[in-house]
Amino acid sequence: MDSLAASAEQALKRWELENNITDAIYFYDEAKHAKIQQQKPWVKEPHYFKRVKISALALLKMVVHARSGGTIEIMGLMQGKVDGDTIIVMDAFALPVEGTETRVNAQADAYEYMVEYSQTNKQAGRLENVVGWYHSHPGYGCWLSGIDCSTQMLNQQFQEPFLAVVIDPTRTVSAGKVEIGAFRTYPEGYKPPSEPVSEYQTIPLNKIEDFGVHCKQYYSLDVTYFKSSLDNHLLDLLWNKYWVNTLSSSPLLANRDYVAGQISDLAEKLDQAETQLHSRLGSLPSRKKE
Amino acid sequence: MASESTPSSASGLTFKLHPLVILNISDHYTRVKSQSHGAPVSNSNGASASIPSPLPRVFGCVIGIQRGRTVEIFNSFELLYDDSTNSLDRIFLEKKQELYKKVFPNFYILGWYSTGSDAQESDMQIHRALMDINESPVYVLLNPAINHAHKDLPVTIYESELHVIDGIPQLIFVRSSYTIETVEAERISVDHVAHLKPSDGGSAATQLAAHLTGIHSAIKMLNSRIKVLHQYLLAMQKGDIPYENSLVRQVSSLLRRLPAIESGKFQDDFLMEYNDTLLVTYLAMITNCSSTMNELVDKFNIAYDRHGRRGGRARLHESYGL
Repeated sequence: MDSLAASAEQALKRWELENNITDAIYFYDEAKHAKIQQQKPWVKEPHYFKRVKISALALLKMVVHARSGGTIEIMGLMQGKVDGDTIIVMDAFALPVEGTETRVNAQADAYEYMVEYSQTNKQAGRLENVVGWYHSHPGYGCWLSGIDCSTQMLNQQFQEPFLAVVIDPTRTVSAGKVEIGAFRTYPEGYKPPSEPVSEYQTIPLNKIEDFGVHCKQYYSLDVTYFKSSLDNHLLDLLWNKYWVNTLSSSPLLANRDYVAGQISDLAEKLDQAETQLHSRLGSLPSRKKE
Repeated sequence: MASESTPSSASGLTFKLHPLVILNISDHYTRVKSQSHGAPVSNSNGASASIPSPLPRVFGCVIGIQRGRTVEIFNSFELLYDDSTNSLDRIFLEKKQELYKKVFPNFYILGWYSTGSDAQESDMQIHRALMDINESPVYVLLNPAINHAHKDLPVTIYESELHVIDGIPQLIFVRSSYTIETVEAERISVDHVAHLKPSDGGSAATQLAAHLTGIHSAIKMLNSRIKVLHQYLLAMQKGDIPYENSLVRQVSSLLRRLPAIESGKFQDDFLMEYNDTLLVTYLAMITNCSSTMNELVDKFNIAYDRHGRRGGRARLHESYGL
């Protein structure tokens, strides 16, 4: 019986480690971070950071904030630390700025907010630094637009280490899985080695140019999540109250407008494709008769 | 289970709690605990051996919206606790409140939270101090001890009530029940993190499998709850358990709602939804087919293209397997 219990415990520990349920990650080592800040290993290699670990809390906060904005883009900052080639995001907070396509930099009072918030947080026991920013693209996918690219390039020059995260709350709700992407830009003039093709996502017609022009200037990082053991325990118990919501929720009902919008966008794309086809291969119909 | 269906509280207020608050408190507690324990210990065995000191208590404020009789707690933030005066740092609270007002202008301070296993006498002081911001604040208590035997969420909500004890009017804490409220996006992300589903790509098959697993477990829960009710009613019928009128009334009202599914209007709406879904799926299929057709035609063209190619290419169509 003892050996059985011991092996069960080992299996549990292994599972915990694999599934990132560790509490050690919450410890903030001041000295270690000061050293990393001095060394700056990311300066030499543009592709240095490869992975992102987001805490359960940060994810929930970002998704809820993004969804609360409705169709308006929102933005906020993330706090965390760096560990080797992984950026760890522990927490996120919202910024009081209106998101518009013409915004290049958050305005002055947003900076003031950020400074004050970081100060009060440090007092309350959250010691991490700001390690990135996030914003939402409601309905049109997770990628960096031209403005986003230039903002991020600026950030990566002066506020390293910095990460850009994009969330699409509309697609999250309609697809039933979290639509999130983490990106870092390449510095000016750097030619990236050819990357494996990432998962295909549909971009609405009016944004497709913006997407295409800049899509080679940044690369995406792998996103994984972690939670504490207490979080895990609470979430398990939460499920006991949650199952009703799971059954009663219907993604179709919740997202009617979005689905209708997507279908009409698709129709437009097909129209465009058709006109292109006719202009290029005008001789095609006659061939088939032979 | 009866208390779950009818949320009751002494003052008649219904409480709705968002999962974000629970995760916030848990995260705050985990941080403070790991900071106070020095160097990280990576295996749980080591951690449990090195905690002789009492678990730290964390304090914070909960914010949300109060509409009429419903109190909905959306978010929370940390506060500083002054041990000497046994009160919360007021200036800090006000500063934080301002910051949060800018981003969430609708939220008011509804109360405060803390961790521990039970409400204590000293908590009443803190509660009273908050009474000038909100006339009847709520006290959310989270029990961070991980006890696998308990199947219930270790979160309790207390309200304060004025009771006359021994002739002296005193404020005491009274437990209230609450429901978990969530928006769709919240549910998906909680689901996601709770079960650590494959987040990116995965084929459509794995996503479908994950979705179906979620639905399956939800249905299993529904089934088990119904079974429990069934057993309970059978036992009451046999006479093992004293007859409880209110419960039987609730069950009968539930059962009387079921025939609504058979009514004409429901069928009409249901069929309309069903047709919409089928139409969209059909459209998707047609688009898929036309794209496959397009590829086929492209290959055909390449195989039979006579402009500027040698005749040997005509044999190529065999290798294409058309």
